[in-house]
Amino acid sequence: MANEKVDVVIVGGGASGILLAAKLGQAGKKVVILEMGPPLALDDLVSSQIWSRRLKWGGVPVVSEGKNPVAHNFQSGWGLGGAAMHQFANWPRFHPEDFRVKSQYGRGLDWPISYDDMRPYYDRIQKEVGLSGDHVAEVWRPAGDPYPMPPIRWFRQAELLAEGFRKIGMRTAPMPLAINSVSYNGRPACIYDGWCHIGCPIGALSNPIVTYLGDARHAGAEVRARSTVTRVLMNKEGTKATGVEYYDASRQRHVQPASAVVLAAWSAQNPRLLLNSATPKHAKGLANASGLVGKYMMCHFASGTWALFDEDVQNHMGTTGAQFMSYDRYPKTSHKGAFGSTFIVAGSALKTTDLGGFANARLDLYGPELHAFMKRAARGLTRVNAFGEELPNIENRVELAADKDEFGMPLGRIVHSFDEDAAGVWNANFEEGLKIAKATGAKEAWSGRGAMPTIHLMGGTIMGTTARNSVVNSYGQTHEIANLWIAGPGIFPTAGASNPTYTIFALSLRGAEQLAAKWATVV
Amino acid sequence: MRAALEALGETLLPGAKDAGLAHYIDQQLSVDPSEALLIARGVGVIPPYVNFYRAGLAALDQTSAKLHGAKFAALAPEKRSEFVEQFRQKVPEGWSGPPSPFFYFVSRADAVDVYYGTVEGFERLGIPYMPHIVPIRRW
Repeated sequence: MANEKVDVVIVGGGASGILLAAKLGQAGKKVVILEMGPPLALDDLVSSQIWSRRLKWGGVPVVSEGKNPVAHNFQSGWGLGGAAMHQFANWPRFHPEDFRVKSQYGRGLDWPISYDDMRPYYDRIQKEVGLSGDHVAEVWRPAGDPYPMPPIRWFRQAELLAEGFRKIGMRTAPMPLAINSVSYNGRPACIYDGWCHIGCPIGALSNPIVTYLGDARHAGAEVRARSTVTRVLMNKEGTKATGVEYYDASRQRHVQPASAVVLAAWSAQNPRLLLNSATPKHAKGLANASGLVGKYMMCHFASGTWALFDEDVQNHMGTTGAQFMSYDRYPKTSHKGAFGSTFIVAGSALKTTDLGGFANARLDLYGPELHAFMKRAARGLTRVNAFGEELPNIENRVELAADKDEFGMPLGRIVHSFDEDAAGVWNANFEEGLKIAKATGAKEAWSGRGAMPTIHLMGGTIMGTTARNSVVNSYGQTHEIANLWIAGPGIFPTAGASNPTYTIFALSLRGAEQLAAKWATVV
Repeated sequence: MRAALEALGETLLPGAKDAGLAHYIDQQLSVDPSEALLIARGVGVIPPYVNFYRAGLAALDQTSAKLHGAKFAALAPEKRSEFVEQFRQKVPEGWSGPPSPFFYFVSRADAVDVYYGTVEGFERLGIPYMPHIVPIRRW
């Protein structure tokens, strides 16, 4: 069944898809978002770790292999708003050196743009969305407008942990958060209940539903949830995308014709779609003459250190992300013998269960000892977490698996292994984490060392200067097909160690404005 | 399967059985995987999740019988703990289900979910729940 043609069909209703729909709609374009998952709404965000699993991947399995298989489901989103619905809202900017790792260090890749190109978009997004922080205390922060809101308040655990950093000579600053410390743009201030990670229904945390979805709908964008896109369709000459094929909730096949197609379905599904859309004229998949579709997948990793105090540290209060941070180890050669940035956060609000909860702080405990630990943890447990940068490695990739889904589309497979630099940074951050924790005077301090975690997911459709070295340009436009664009963290050629969401929003704003401005040449 | 599940849950976290572990797992295995609330979903177990639990609990019982002479639920409590210690970090010889450390992780997380992951669970620890939207059902 063919629908009426629209200007833009956007595949994926997450952070980038919704922002693009808002900006393109406001520029007068007729937009449809096709979202694979359910039509999430704010009242689905039940304050419960158990219920929050609805916010994670519920689609066809993604095969995950390699020495360090990507924890795809835990990192992904599911439904309208995408992964940004369970984000922790830590919003630091990428640093100038993140954009030129290859030129500056002879490692990794370069972006085709610099921090200076991104700065205006970081500044505009923080004003539109609302960020709280202290730009003066953040001595490492690149040039940018002051935050529109003061930093969030601290609780007892932040005071205790900050003392540890101070004693070993490390500088700290309040965490920049996409969370309101005061009322902002008609949205209320945070009440510090520590339920960020299960989705914030009150509007204090800037998820896509409370930020750009309203703009998108107001501008006439239509959202079709439970719509599974299986192919981008091309004209017979193979020169232009004509729309997408998708299946609705009752498995009926549809075609959505469009003048432009934007893939915003996150770093795993975008390459899968491009590869599955191969035609005789694009035998390796769309936009893939370089062979780079699916390549250079990157994750962050984290080294968690636990510090247990014998007092009430108020760890149920605050925000899930952190109360403060340090960029003292962001320089990429901070750790001798290992390469990559480190971003340290501290004072996360903690709950009882799930991957980040108290119970997993001592995975070795079970039985009555686990009960005893939970009681002590509820009162005095705190965490310092150091996120590390993974360099782009061409072997880390998304490809098509042999198994197919119910629509005959091959499953995606992610193959991923960390290299020695990543392992070196991971280990060094455990060592330093323990130093910090011991300096706090905590009763007990230990490393939360299990398997090396895979956090966030970037790359797969990287930006670059030419069709030989990349899939898209700096706006997300594929080099080969003028009206096929890609948005989201998949277009990052390097990952830094900063959370990606702020950069996703800023890049998507830049891309949306370019698509609108160059519309006549694109379509 | 229920006997092994409850015995394992009780060993990993006493009280998990009465907190409704078997009901939680049963109920969650009966819904579409995209509606399931199990941690198995979040950590990438391939659906249908019943296969994971069936294979894991079968491996638990078979290996228990091999190493300790009886299925897991029939072991004395100290023997159950001794056996958990044997499989929680290393896969015992002959264990044929999902890797035992991963099975330990998920089973333990399920027990913690039903005991400490609810409004009642927070009360047990004296933690203010502070919900925006109260869960009307535990799961």
